Amino acid sequence: MEHRQSFWENLVVVAIALVLIQTFLDDFAVVAGWAWAPREVLLYAGLALDVFFSVEFLTRLYFSFIRRRTGIYFWHERGWIDLLASLPLVLLSSGPAALALWSGSTIALGRASLLNVLKVVKAIRIARVLRLLRLLKVFARIRNTDSTMAQRHVAKVATLSVTVLIATVMLLGIAFSVFDVPSLETAYQSRITTLLAAVEGDLDRGAPIDAGELAARESSLLAVQREGRTLFSRFDSDYYARQVGPNDYGFAERGDFRLFFDLRPVNRDQSRNNLIYFAIIVVTIGALLFAYSPHFALTVTDPLHVMTRGITEANYSLEVKVPRLYRDDEVFELARAYNEHYLPMKDRRSAASADGFDLSMDDVQGLLDD
Amino acid sequence: MFVSRLLANPALGPLTPLQREEQIIQFLHVNAAALAPTLSTPGFFPGASWSQSLSLLLAALVEEVDVALMPRLDEILDRMQFGFVALLRPQAAGGERVRSQIREYLRAVLRRMDARRVMTGPLAAISYGFVDRYCDQMWARKGYSHFELTKVQRLRLGRDEVKAMIEATLLLKPIVCSGSSATAGLAEHASGVVQAQYAERVVAAAREALSLAPDELIRSAANASVSFQENRYIEATARIAAILSWRCRSYQPNMRADRGADSPDKSWLSVARRNHRFYGFDVKMIDELYSIAAENGW
Repeated sequence: MEHRQSFWENLVVVAIALVLIQTFLDDFAVVAGWAWAPREVLLYAGLALDVFFSVEFLTRLYFSFIRRRTGIYFWHERGWIDLLASLPLVLLSSGPAALALWSGSTIALGRASLLNVLKVVKAIRIARVLRLLRLLKVFARIRNTDSTMAQRHVAKVATLSVTVLIATVMLLGIAFSVFDVPSLETAYQSRITTLLAAVEGDLDRGAPIDAGELAARESSLLAVQREGRTLFSRFDSDYYARQVGPNDYGFAERGDFRLFFDLRPVNRDQSRNNLIYFAIIVVTIGALLFAYSPHFALTVTDPLHVMTRGITEANYSLEVKVPRLYRDDEVFELARAYNEHYLPMKDRRSAASADGFDLSMDDVQGLLDD
Repeated sequence: MFVSRLLANPALGPLTPLQREEQIIQFLHVNAAALAPTLSTPGFFPGASWSQSLSLLLAALVEEVDVALMPRLDEILDRMQFGFVALLRPQAAGGERVRSQIREYLRAVLRRMDARRVMTGPLAAISYGFVDRYCDQMWARKGYSHFELTKVQRLRLGRDEVKAMIEATLLLKPIVCSGSSATAGLAEHASGVVQAQYAERVVAAAREALSLAPDELIRSAANASVSFQENRYIEATARIAAILSWRCRSYQPNMRADRGADSPDKSWLSVARRNHRFYGFDVKMIDELYSIAAENGW
């Protein structure tokens, strides 16, 4: 049973390591302009990992339920992070993206709903930020101190800071989207809308449509087709097959014209932001692990550990080191009392009663039994 | 057999023979209630009372400890340089004869349990090189202790001779147990200090048994158990021996400082500073040793 549990726990650790690599590469690939084939692999890998973590969450939730500790798991053992970093991603991010790929559909920039569609696309992108919560799962498995108190405090600070960052990014993303705060995306939408309005005006007037002139006006216009025949294409077919995936472009139909637009600049901008958030979170967690955690140990748990040993072990009489900078901290005020009053008193008592020794009855029990 | 196996307990492994002996004696006393029923069974001392069992165990313990202790003492004495004797008293007997007399004296006095207890710290201090460790630093710093040794005590000796004299003082510290009322005197003071008048009587009595040893050495050894609070004129060698002797009584060579804890010597000296009246230490000397320990991370 323990072997099986250990196997699953190890598998989760491996999955966490993989998902971090996948999360980074997924956005890096977009920013770096990788070809579609490796990005397609990353997309499927993302879906597989999202499904894995969803199953993991549901399994943990199930076992915590049958052990009657659902509340403890969900609130105290950070089950809520497991939830936010699993099911919403399958439902809002990797799931829809994979479905779109399987069905061969792409993003339709429809006549009336162009803006709304782009907002949905943006909401999906925003939801991807939730993946960064998984960094906390890695953090939970790093034990750089023996103190459970230090681990709990540092984990609490990490959870709070990372969650606040992600929640803020998400909420601001939604708010900016709702209130149409100017951005690269809105500028992009505006340009496409203007172009489509011009095409509509030409069609209404019966004026000829010059695809080359449209392409010169709008750099994101990839191709123009009329009744299935290509009037203009910015790149050759090989390029599209190699570099452009279903999520990289959208199209709009006006009359018997179909116009294809390049969404990669918008995707790139979003991925660049995601990479910044990823880096912020990694650096924050690293700073907490390697700067705050030792500081917490130095100023809280180590002095307490030394005092506990001094009080409970007859032979232990080392003083607590009191750093000059923190000598006014409550912990070190206690440590000074321990150094200046308790240890001298213990020493005098020990000299009088000679009760400090290394042997205990447990040490000689074997001799007596023999 | 029981005693041999007790002595072989890994918990006592790094300690000196006398530290081990003291630990076991304390253990037997503290756990008397738990041990008595088992020790009166046929496997040990059938029908014997606890005090009878304890006497038998202590006799066996001393015998067993002496197997390791006496060669250790011989080794220390053989290594020690008694050149300082001739420098203190040019007309005194040669170092070899003094060495031999001290050897005989120690063999005799260490038959007493109270003397063995007094010897625990000195033996550990010499065994673990505490005299070298601190005296070298005192000499380098030329601070309070150096001044007390060379100007107040007026020892016209080099560093190595002073170290040898302090080691000899430590070795002879059990002479406070040689007087008939010594046990009572020690038992009254948990800190092991004796009154200056009593020390004077000890010196007078020891002159006979240690006839070849210079008076300065005997006086230093006796005064190593006198409180500096009571007599501000006791020899610097005696004050150093008193501090190192107490330091090493409970010294654990393999003890490592936990993260967040001060080093063992620094901790001990800091506590000793606060208890200097109780133990009769010279607080200025403690301060200097504390600085040395702090600077060297001891």
